Amino acid sequence: MMNSAKSSLMLSRSANRNQRLARWFGEGFLLVVTSLSMLAVLFILIFIARDALPFFSWTHFKEFFVSTAWYPTQNPPSFGALSILFGSLLVTLGAALVAIPLGLTAAVCLSDVLPFRVRQTVKPVVEMLAAIPSVAYGFFALIVFAPALQEHGGPMLAWAFWLVVTPFLALTLLVLADLAAARFAENRQNLVRGLVFALLGAMAAWGLWKTGRRLHGLEISSGTNALNAAIILGIMALPTMVSVAEDALQAIGRDLRMASYALGATRAETLVRVVIPAAASGILAAAILAIMRAIGETMVVWMASGNAARIPEPWYNLLEPVRTLTATIAGDMGEADQSAGSAHYHVLFAMALVLLLFSLACNIVSERMIARTRRRLR
Amino acid sequence: MQTQKQLLIAGLVALTVAAAQAAGDAQKIVVDGSTTVGPIAKAFAEYYMKAHPDVNITVSESGSGNGAKGIINGSIDVGTMSRAMKTEELDAAKGKKRNPVQHIVAFDGIAAVVHPSNPVKNLSKDQLRDIYTGEINNWKKVGGPDLKIVVISRDTNSGTYETFQEKVTKSERVTDRAEYVGSNGAVRQRVQSTPGAIGYVGLAFTEGVKALTINEIEATTDNVISKKYPISRGLFMYTDGAPAAGTALADYVGLYKTADGKKLVGDQGYVPVQ
Amino acid sequence: MLRLGTRKLLDRSFTGLGVLSIALLTAALLILLAPMCLRGSGAYVFQGTVEFRRVLLEKFQRGDRDELQRELALVRRARQPVFDALAAFQKELAVMPVAQRRKIKPDFEQVHAAVKELLGPLPGAEVPLMMRGQYGQTRWDRAQVKIRKILFAEDYDFSGGGLGRKVLKPRAATFRGTALEPLFAYVEHHAVAMLAPRWTFYGRFLTDTSHDAHFFGGIGPEALGTLYLTLGAILFAVPMGVIAAIYLVEYARENRLVRLLRICISTLAGVPSIVFGLFGLAFFINTVHLSANKSVLVGALTLGLLILPTIIRASEEALRAVPEAYKQAALSLGAGHWRSVRTVILPAALPGILTGVIISMGRAAGETAPIIFTAAVSVGKPLTLLQTFTQPTPALPWNIYNLCSEHVAVDEIRHVQYGMVFTLVVLVLLLNLAAIIVRARISKGLRT
Repeated sequence: MMNSAKSSLMLSRSANRNQRLARWFGEGFLLVVTSLSMLAVLFILIFIARDALPFFSWTHFKEFFVSTAWYPTQNPPSFGALSILFGSLLVTLGAALVAIPLGLTAAVCLSDVLPFRVRQTVKPVVEMLAAIPSVAYGFFALIVFAPALQEHGGPMLAWAFWLVVTPFLALTLLVLADLAAARFAENRQNLVRGLVFALLGAMAAWGLWKTGRRLHGLEISSGTNALNAAIILGIMALPTMVSVAEDALQAIGRDLRMASYALGATRAETLVRVVIPAAASGILAAAILAIMRAIGETMVVWMASGNAARIPEPWYNLLEPVRTLTATIAGDMGEADQSAGSAHYHVLFAMALVLLLFSLACNIVSERMIARTRRRLR
Repeated sequence: MQTQKQLLIAGLVALTVAAAQAAGDAQKIVVDGSTTVGPIAKAFAEYYMKAHPDVNITVSESGSGNGAKGIINGSIDVGTMSRAMKTEELDAAKGKKRNPVQHIVAFDGIAAVVHPSNPVKNLSKDQLRDIYTGEINNWKKVGGPDLKIVVISRDTNSGTYETFQEKVTKSERVTDRAEYVGSNGAVRQRVQSTPGAIGYVGLAFTEGVKALTINEIEATTDNVISKKYPISRGLFMYTDGAPAAGTALADYVGLYKTADGKKLVGDQGYVPVQ
Repeated sequence: MLRLGTRKLLDRSFTGLGVLSIALLTAALLILLAPMCLRGSGAYVFQGTVEFRRVLLEKFQRGDRDELQRELALVRRARQPVFDALAAFQKELAVMPVAQRRKIKPDFEQVHAAVKELLGPLPGAEVPLMMRGQYGQTRWDRAQVKIRKILFAEDYDFSGGGLGRKVLKPRAATFRGTALEPLFAYVEHHAVAMLAPRWTFYGRFLTDTSHDAHFFGGIGPEALGTLYLTLGAILFAVPMGVIAAIYLVEYARENRLVRLLRICISTLAGVPSIVFGLFGLAFFINTVHLSANKSVLVGALTLGLLILPTIIRASEEALRAVPEAYKQAALSLGAGHWRSVRTVILPAALPGILTGVIISMGRAAGETAPIIFTAAVSVGKPLTLLQTFTQPTPALPWNIYNLCSEHVAVDEIRHVQYGMVFTLVVLVLLLNLAAIIVRARISKGLRT
């Protein structure tokens, strides 16, 4: 702040003006540069919408959302994207089923259960999972996982089913037995508990065995199917779920937990009954972000989901190939005639628009939820 | 702080020098299009670049449709296609003042391939059509084991798909159970690793899978030359106008006429032009 | 009410559940990385045969010429019986009765072709134009596959009904009594002498150009292309991102425009990567015509847009994490706002910004969808700096997809695919490791 008058610290009028102008220009420049990112978003929206809307102004609009016949190069072409939309949703649903429970338990474990040292070693694992490029996941899905599913799919599914469901069932039965025994007198309780557990346990074991054997005998004719894509996408979406959920859980603070412990709850009860509900909006935001990640992923589904534009029979049959929006855009874009502005070109941009709007919606909702968590805790 | 500034300036100077040195290197040929013609284009590119190291030939294989696109838009120099340009594409080219010139660089057949463990050896053209339209969905209906047929098809980008549609399925729709992959190589891989699969590939891609006889005629280059094999096609390279004689582009595109070019084509499993 | 014992059991099993999920995560990571690392390192460290050393000398001008000549003399002597057997059988074939000849000729042609694949062109025969026919097997593991092809005929036994079962028939049985019979036992026992395999470390795999559609050579053009794209993306995104972060943290007032800006930035973060690719194609190439067709410039710009939100977020966090005391101290010493930002706050936030930049570099290097339409080709020469403005380039992510699906001989170049994936994953993980280290240094610095 060198000034013209050496005697006083106040600026001359011109120097003052110059300085104010400089600051104004400087801030303006910063604002312009920052607005470039806003411009980028606007341009993306404009260009995608501009090339998508010509499709929607035709009668194709209804066909797009209702028909499952996707034959864009046939004469006459049909642009029924329902099966493709369904494919995207099915694969995302599968990925959510993998990522959300696993991610939530991992986040809870990271934030509340593990000691600090162990936490510092586990966090890099999650970050590494996030850092692996999507084409590497796609490569794994196509070259390693698909043949494995084809050759050993049945046994893999059966063992995964047994390993996951058995502990859950055992615990549920234990709780049920306890609740049943509580109605009886003190001296009979153990007997009742044992009986109920044995009875229910036998039924559950039989059910588990039957379902397991049925899974074991499954013949997976094609390893590139919705299951393959769903599992790999779930693993890709896990880090997002874990980190955002963990942030939400950490943000709760110790007071709530301490109060719960003071009232005599075990750690599990505190977590399940107090902490998780308190962080519910943050956890929901994490789930939405994970879903957003899964639905926007291109390479894995292009390589490993089979690309058959068809709704599987029955609709939840993950063992059949499906086609997603992203894979259709990536695969068909080369063919679509840009210069002549054919309907094929516009329908691909329509798909991009659907993806964009869905991501936008997810983004807005998750931001609101995170803001709500912050507001509640202030 | 001072040394950091010096390093930065030195770095910038080095970059500019490197850029200036690179200014001399200019020639490029951009090739894009069919995955069937891709191996030929790549072999030609390698052969040509060995003799002329100052030319950079880049090859992509995004599909015959994209090859046509690129020529119409003027964004590529050579468009490889495994089908002829359609009338709409030729009209679009005329609208953009482009003049696509067709060069037939090879002939090829489309073989129907299955996994080697599949006992089926022959299919009639009608049976093949029915498999692809979904009428037949189990191998036992064509004399094979009781196994669901996994139908592999090429996506809409593909000239191979167009030829297959023109010669086999005609105007009927391919079943929606069909799995779509993006290239000949991908079809071969899927069929090689899936016992119940059937697919169609160019003759150069039949290693590791079993090529069926169609109407009892084998898919060999001889049968393609004699036109006995029912699913044959020409392989094309398109340029915008005939390339001026003596330019790198003309030499590259004209390789199919030379003896070496024909040998390269033949070695890969295609039928060189006679 | 539940018993105390049950509650304790539930508590313990909940902990167990948490630990199990972490274990599953780690297992998933290991299952993902193990095949990539094991087989990928096989592209760098493997048993290379004398053919590999020939390729290195003739195409890349590396290696000891004299020693190679000596080796080749030894190898040629070891191979001579094979060629003699083949020639002798040719003569036998010429005088064989027609029916027998017709039966045995296809098998002989298979053996002949397999020997050519294993050892390269026979002496005196015409040298093929394509490079893959000019040399034998360069890797010992592939050589063993070819040896098995020589020794056994692969056939399928359809007698049981249903799918055929693979049956390996020893070829020695087919050719019993002919001049070709001793060839098989010879090949089996003298393969090592014929090919001279030696453990090689092919470090230049990363920088060598590929020859003949990746049959030989390395992944140099792809690695260079990835480097160009990543650096270009950083060049575009970092200045814009840091400036935007400075504005948002230090200068922005909480008015509607700024809130809109923040919404836009977080929207940009949520756009799927394929949409970026479409935008790059529609805007940079088709509208603005930055380059006539695909080019590294357009690809770098598209990737830069992709990583911009991450950099803005990371820089914002880093700037906010600088203690208020620093800023107050600078202001109290008479520095203006801008000077205090430039000389005090920014340097203090630099490690955090650097972390964000490094992680974004990893992201930009690994993304495929944005470069499919804007910058990537399957085959091309390594570009010089000036060419990046107008020419497309091969890049690691795109070529991984390309090689594992489109390539004409996928099994022959399996090691190159794994090598590319390994290289890309190692690159990205190293970048992340660097970011972690930088972050650890920061937390240590801020704690003092």
